[in-house]
Amino acid sequence: MDFLGEGLRRAVALLLSGDVEVYGIALLTLKIGLIATVFACGLGIPVGFVLATRPFWGRRAALTVVNTALAFPTVVVGLLLYGLLSRRGPLGGVEWLYTWQAIVVGDVVLAFPIAAALAAAAVQGVDPRIRRTAETLGAGRWRTAWTVAREARFALAAVITTAFGHVVAEIGSAMTVGGNIRGQTRTLTTAVALYTSQGDFGLALALGLILLLLALLVNVALQALQGRGHA
Amino acid sequence: MLELVGVRHRYDGRVVLDIERFAVPPGAGVAIVGPNGSGKSTLLRLLALLERPTEGEVRLEGVAVAGAAARRRITLVEQRPVLLRGTVRENLEFGLQVRGLRRTEVNRRVENVAARLGITPLLRRRRHELSDGEVQRVAVARALAVEPDVLLLDEPASSADRAAAQTLYRALAEERARRPLAVCLASHQLEDAYRWADDVRALAEGRLSPVTPENLFRVELPATGSGGDLKHVCVGTIEIAATTDKTGPAILAVPPTDIFVSREPLASSARNVFTGRVTRLTHQRPGTVQVTADVGVELVAVVTEEAARDLGLTPGGPVVFSFKASAVRVF
Repeated sequence: MDFLGEGLRRAVALLLSGDVEVYGIALLTLKIGLIATVFACGLGIPVGFVLATRPFWGRRAALTVVNTALAFPTVVVGLLLYGLLSRRGPLGGVEWLYTWQAIVVGDVVLAFPIAAALAAAAVQGVDPRIRRTAETLGAGRWRTAWTVAREARFALAAVITTAFGHVVAEIGSAMTVGGNIRGQTRTLTTAVALYTSQGDFGLALALGLILLLLALLVNVALQALQGRGHA
Repeated sequence: MLELVGVRHRYDGRVVLDIERFAVPPGAGVAIVGPNGSGKSTLLRLLALLERPTEGEVRLEGVAVAGAAARRRITLVEQRPVLLRGTVRENLEFGLQVRGLRRTEVNRRVENVAARLGITPLLRRRRHELSDGEVQRVAVARALAVEPDVLLLDEPASSADRAAAQTLYRALAEERARRPLAVCLASHQLEDAYRWADDVRALAEGRLSPVTPENLFRVELPATGSGGDLKHVCVGTIEIAATTDKTGPAILAVPPTDIFVSREPLASSARNVFTGRVTRLTHQRPGTVQVTADVGVELVAVVTEEAARDLGLTPGGPVVFSFKASAVRVF
């Protein structure tokens, strides 16, 4: 217990002292998390809408693929991406391997199916009469989608929160394509893994606490946004 | 003219609608009557271009149509309508805003239609603050606000009380008097259907019936009755007694289940007793028989299979139909 208590005391001290390394890692994680979430949700939510509302050939198969991709191991995504971005790979020319951009790409690949599958479920959960009402009153495709989205706003906010949570919490892909380089690609999860293996439990715990705090802040922010709306 | 042509519509491989041709002419009032599950709502959704028929097409002015542009000329009010997120006013504005109308025109139309439907006091309320009947009136107002060429109504008075239903029908009549508006109404109640009785069609198991609903007669009601509201009205070669304070042109309806069937006239309080011959016995649903008889006019009654057997009813055999004057419904 002393061991845990000591670790916690060290963590609080590091957070209160404004440790440059700790906050640098946190800021990089936040940057990567936000960018990846924007891309994953920006692509995934519209795809979810289409999967939920538009009948097309292969729709069922597409839903199965998206749902299967939810359980894609993060380290396997990292491995595939490593193959693509390495010098000998087809995308080696962009020289993104061991950069924060590579981590973003990996996170987008991982969070996209989450956004698509959960958005499809959220839209399917909206009373079908809402869509029919918007359409019969003359709304076009975009206005109808917006009307349905307004009804599903709580579920769609949960999609964004889940995607962000997944992105900041994943380690497999970030470690493989980012390389855990100090000051460049070291994120909260890769740093926690590193410092724990090095026996620096206090630092690892401090970073873990920040990770929890980030997830909490995003949730609170989204709930505050939802709270502004009325029925 | 809005038409369904050669439509066979399926859900999971099962044919739910099979209609060679169904038309709603410009400015017409068409009513579709049929029991729940007969396909009325599906038919209206196809007409509203909210679903594409599995086979066949929807035509507007003779041209096959689909999509948002054509949909703007047709508006459907569903049986249990929902309001969109926001206030009643925002709901009324929705269809006008998507048409890009100017703010002053939007306000004018919203206030006008709200006054006609008696929902002005509700304009600032949200959907969870309204009763089912109020939601239905708002939904009709929302549909009328966009001034469609064709208004489709699915059981429009199902959630409304009598007074609210009167307001709703009065507003629809005013709208039709004001401009050429075709109304197609689906209902399981004949009373609803005959308010718009330019043309009444029966729908059963997805097919439009070639016959009109049973025991309906267009009559001219006399100004005075023989006693109180009891009036005797000539229908073909017989006289039907009905209790009503109405006068002039009307529709008489005798519900088949309200007709008492016997082999010989019985002493009873029924003011209508007609002797005739059975023309047809039809097994309608398990356990029931539809008895069609010529008693001067053709009347249809429904009895149980057991009663038909006990009475020994056979085509061509004698039969007596009796019903009370109060059983006759007048529209």
